[in-house]
Amino acid sequence: MLNYLWAGMIILSVVSALGFDINDERVNKFENGKIYTADYVDTNLDDQGMVNIAGQTLYFSLIKTGSQSLVINVSEKLAENWQQIAKHQSAKNKQKLIAQLSNINTHKKQISFILPEVHWVKMNAVTAAAFDMASFAVKLAIGLAGIMALWLGLMRIAEKSGLIQYFVRLIYPALRWLFPNIDKDHPVLGSISLNMAANMLGLGNAATPMGIKAMQQLQEINKTKDRASDEMCMFLAINTSSVQLLPPVTLIALMGVGVSELLLPIILATSVSTVAAIVSVKMYIRSGKQ
Amino acid sequence: MHLAQLIIPLLILFIIAYGLMKKVAVYEEFVEGGKEGFATAVKIIPYLVAMLFAIAMFRASGAMELLISIIAPVFSILGIPAEVLPMALVRPLTGSGSVGVLAELIQTHGADSIIVKIAATMFGSTETTLYVLAVYFGAINISKTRYAIKAGLIADFSGFIAAVIVCSLIFS
Repeated sequence: MLNYLWAGMIILSVVSALGFDINDERVNKFENGKIYTADYVDTNLDDQGMVNIAGQTLYFSLIKTGSQSLVINVSEKLAENWQQIAKHQSAKNKQKLIAQLSNINTHKKQISFILPEVHWVKMNAVTAAAFDMASFAVKLAIGLAGIMALWLGLMRIAEKSGLIQYFVRLIYPALRWLFPNIDKDHPVLGSISLNMAANMLGLGNAATPMGIKAMQQLQEINKTKDRASDEMCMFLAINTSSVQLLPPVTLIALMGVGVSELLLPIILATSVSTVAAIVSVKMYIRSGKQ
Repeated sequence: MHLAQLIIPLLILFIIAYGLMKKVAVYEEFVEGGKEGFATAVKIIPYLVAMLFAIAMFRASGAMELLISIIAPVFSILGIPAEVLPMALVRPLTGSGSVGVLAELIQTHGADSIIVKIAATMFGSTETTLYVLAVYFGAINISKTRYAIKAGLIADFSGFIAAVIVCSLIFS
């Protein structure tokens, strides 16, 4: 399933990016090679011309024709495909669009200019996204290292002091129903219950380290090491559906949405998704599918 | 609501104080427990790269918009506003992406609209399924995931439908 989902995403990305780009090419969306002409006026300054392009007043030198350019400032007022050309021209300097002057006709007071050519916008975007995310993934993992060390350190103290065992005894009835094949005294139950508690309280950055710890302990009692056990699937499904009594409302609130009236819908919806997760895993287990 | 911010510091205080009371060598045990953190984080890197780069490509390519335009008519037949579809599709894939979708919806439809309420409920009620899967199974080198993804996506889907139904019942 994961293989198909993963490969499907990549294939679909490249194919549709290619499709969009070929279509752009066909209709010449970016008007590649088009020569724009505009009337200019002489300024009082020596050998300078002044021209109005895209609502901006631009100056250029009249002496040399060869390789002169017009620097157009990028703003919201600029036509959309011009904005895209600017973005494509230089990732670092999106604020300036540089057009090449091709001809200056001093009799008619006209200049001609060409915008940079743009090809394969989506394909370039796909490439950039792939590399950006690859390095972001490493940053994400390194960030997780510190948080993991913190929570696993605290967890170890709580384990040694007997706090976790006490907590497990409290919610063991629920755990026994979800994970019937795990021994009552196995330490994995501690990690699982802490992960669930952290999820319910909306402590996302505590839940992940404890969840990873639980997975590692589940792996110890797993018979085939490269294959997920039923317990792992159950634990993962519960985690992806995340029962939250204190949902991540802070973020939603920051965005200006009235949170207090959303609490009830969120708790109801998250309960539905968790029940669905548990039921579907139980059904898969019952069907005996390998 | 503000009390939620007190949970973590009080929890840390409680764990340390209880540990001291039970005569645990708190500092040594903390370091001992923390040692695993780094190794695990390094181990999940390839899994994260694999998952995140594919998702990033998918979003950058415009394939998502294509998919949305195909599914949207089905949504409107069912009476679900098609505007919430991006949230339903992005939520299992990326956390930051779904925050972006929510921000966009707030901007276009306003924070009080039913669309934003449904989307925010979807956002709050499920997790980034593929990220959780990559991290949890990556940490223990599980490559055969069996039915885990299906179960996770079934859960997401049920949560989304529930979000739509509950919000329509409560807010209209």
